[in-house]
Amino acid sequence: MADFFLQALGQVSSPSVLALIVIGVLFGIIGGSIPGFTVTMAILVVFPFTFAMDPVSGVSLMVGVFVGGYSGGIVSGVMLGIPGTPSSITTVYDGYPMAQNGEPGRALGIGVAASFLGTLISVAVLVFFGPLIASFSMNFRPWEITALIVFALTLVAGLSSGALIKGLLAAALGLLITTVGYDRNSNLRFDFGLPALGSGFEILPVMIGIFAFSQLMGNLEKLRDEQGKIKGVDTSVTIPYGRILKDMGSQKLNTLRSSLIGSLVGALPGTGGTVANFISYDQAKKFSKHPETFGKGTPSGIVASEASNSAVAGGAFVPTLALGIPGDLPMAIMMGVLILHGITPGPLMFEQNPVLVGAIYASLLIGAVIMVLCQLLLVRWFAKISLIPQEVLVPVVLMLCAIGSYALNNNLFDIWVLFVFGVIGYLLWKAGVPLTPLILGVVLGNNLERQLFRALELDESWMTFLTRPLSALFLALAVASVIFSLYQDRKIQHNQLRARNLPEQ
Amino acid sequence: MLTLTKDRALALALLLIVAVMWVESGNIRPPTSWQPYGSALFPRILLVVTGLLSLLILVRSLITGAPARTEPRRSFVQWLGHNRTVFSLFGLFGLYAALLPVLGYLVATLTFLVTSLGLLLGIDSRRKWIINLAVSFTLVPLVYVIFRFGLNVWLP
Repeated sequence: MADFFLQALGQVSSPSVLALIVIGVLFGIIGGSIPGFTVTMAILVVFPFTFAMDPVSGVSLMVGVFVGGYSGGIVSGVMLGIPGTPSSITTVYDGYPMAQNGEPGRALGIGVAASFLGTLISVAVLVFFGPLIASFSMNFRPWEITALIVFALTLVAGLSSGALIKGLLAAALGLLITTVGYDRNSNLRFDFGLPALGSGFEILPVMIGIFAFSQLMGNLEKLRDEQGKIKGVDTSVTIPYGRILKDMGSQKLNTLRSSLIGSLVGALPGTGGTVANFISYDQAKKFSKHPETFGKGTPSGIVASEASNSAVAGGAFVPTLALGIPGDLPMAIMMGVLILHGITPGPLMFEQNPVLVGAIYASLLIGAVIMVLCQLLLVRWFAKISLIPQEVLVPVVLMLCAIGSYALNNNLFDIWVLFVFGVIGYLLWKAGVPLTPLILGVVLGNNLERQLFRALELDESWMTFLTRPLSALFLALAVASVIFSLYQDRKIQHNQLRARNLPEQ
Repeated sequence: MLTLTKDRALALALLLIVAVMWVESGNIRPPTSWQPYGSALFPRILLVVTGLLSLLILVRSLITGAPARTEPRRSFVQWLGHNRTVFSLFGLFGLYAALLPVLGYLVATLTFLVTSLGLLLGIDSRRKWIINLAVSFTLVPLVYVIFRFGLNVWLP
């Protein structure tokens, strides 16, 4: 472990890779600080720039964006009262009131410090649990992997805020997309006589099209409905370092608890920073001696929010690296980066590419340090950048998406794939279909089919999926997650119906 | 008369897609003695799942009825007008994809950026034009230089 980590640290510490991490962190912070842009979009925009890089450089750049992105939400949350990313919603609850009380520098400083500590603790969790889970999952055979992928998809579909059936439908559609083109036996499927469809769809343009178009067009619609009113912001911020050290000294337990919650939630499929953010904020309030101060500008609220959402970074890498199952959208894209560089995430990665795993650990750590320096030194610039209007951002991002898709294979067909899936993604989003299960389906589809048929080739009985204990457990969990989500859906519907009927009574 | 709600439109569109793909799956090479499951089995499982879920959405939306309207009903022309920015941007992007191989990266991308920024920002003031042209004429060459010389990627 120490050897490969030192080797990785040596590679990551080279000036060119360090420069890439700095660029990644800066871009991540900018992406996270612009309301409506999100960490996922920042990662998608940077992804094409990694095509020509070696794996360590590409992954380091992406990890930089990841670390910066999760901390970037602080800026717009504190300065504008608008969460830059959904995972920094609760930062606004206390960060904005503190800034309104004349202490924006203190709020930003606490947020950045909590973000830094959250990332460090989550890296420790990743370093400890990643290899453990990977070594345990080495025992997984095709039956277990198939069942695990089914479980991950049902879990993500079930967590799609009251839309279980649409979530499952999205996952099935995502899997279906991967069946276009030549299959494992070199048989052609669903090419409809078009030679371009023979090689199937590249994951990247499909992912970008589905996610980016729906989000960008959604931002435009929101702008239209809100008449595009943007608040002004005072960007003259000074960071009171002494005060922040004192504040953080009194938040040790809160920081640790929130970071662990973030790491744990990050490791669960389908959850991510937003869920971690709310759970951690709620727990901090429950454990606080002064819960009445929450929402009025207390440091505890900012620490709980920022430590947890940044800790998601390390936690989310655990299932992606150890099992090859990404838990959320940014991780699905991260997995796409690894696959693009010829690396298959999963238990074997720890044996076959230990240096790359070490490079991810090292990039997370170095990224966290760079993030603190960038945030503290450049915060007033980030505050200004967060005011870039969507009217400018949307065309620029669309252009970068097009060029990124083209650059993947120097193939203009990929831009058409991007466009067609952009239209499909937008229509599905308008119909209330959650897009995360769809993208996970696209990422996991080929592996699911491969593992399913490997299992059936080894033993033709479908019952083996139920007679192998771990496989049966994962399938039982998949069924349980569907039943639980159905129950939740019914409860939500019941409450809505009751709320609708109340005024009439 | 039945209203075409979002759920019903979604379910019907997906059922149509499932039907087309099911027919097309008939063209996939059938199973052989060394490939007993064949290449059509997996997509057909997915098509059945997708079809059943779509049917479920359709039946459920028919049972629950159309949701109450929160906004007044718009005619097709009004609806197009309401969403003109989004539709125009989709149209511009499609045009960009079509023109890229004809005009090349620099001209096609500049045209796309200037037009779409004009569409979203507006063209009614000098300031907007300055922002538009500054963003377009800075970013387009910058991206070209990064890809062409930094990453060795040829742009059309």
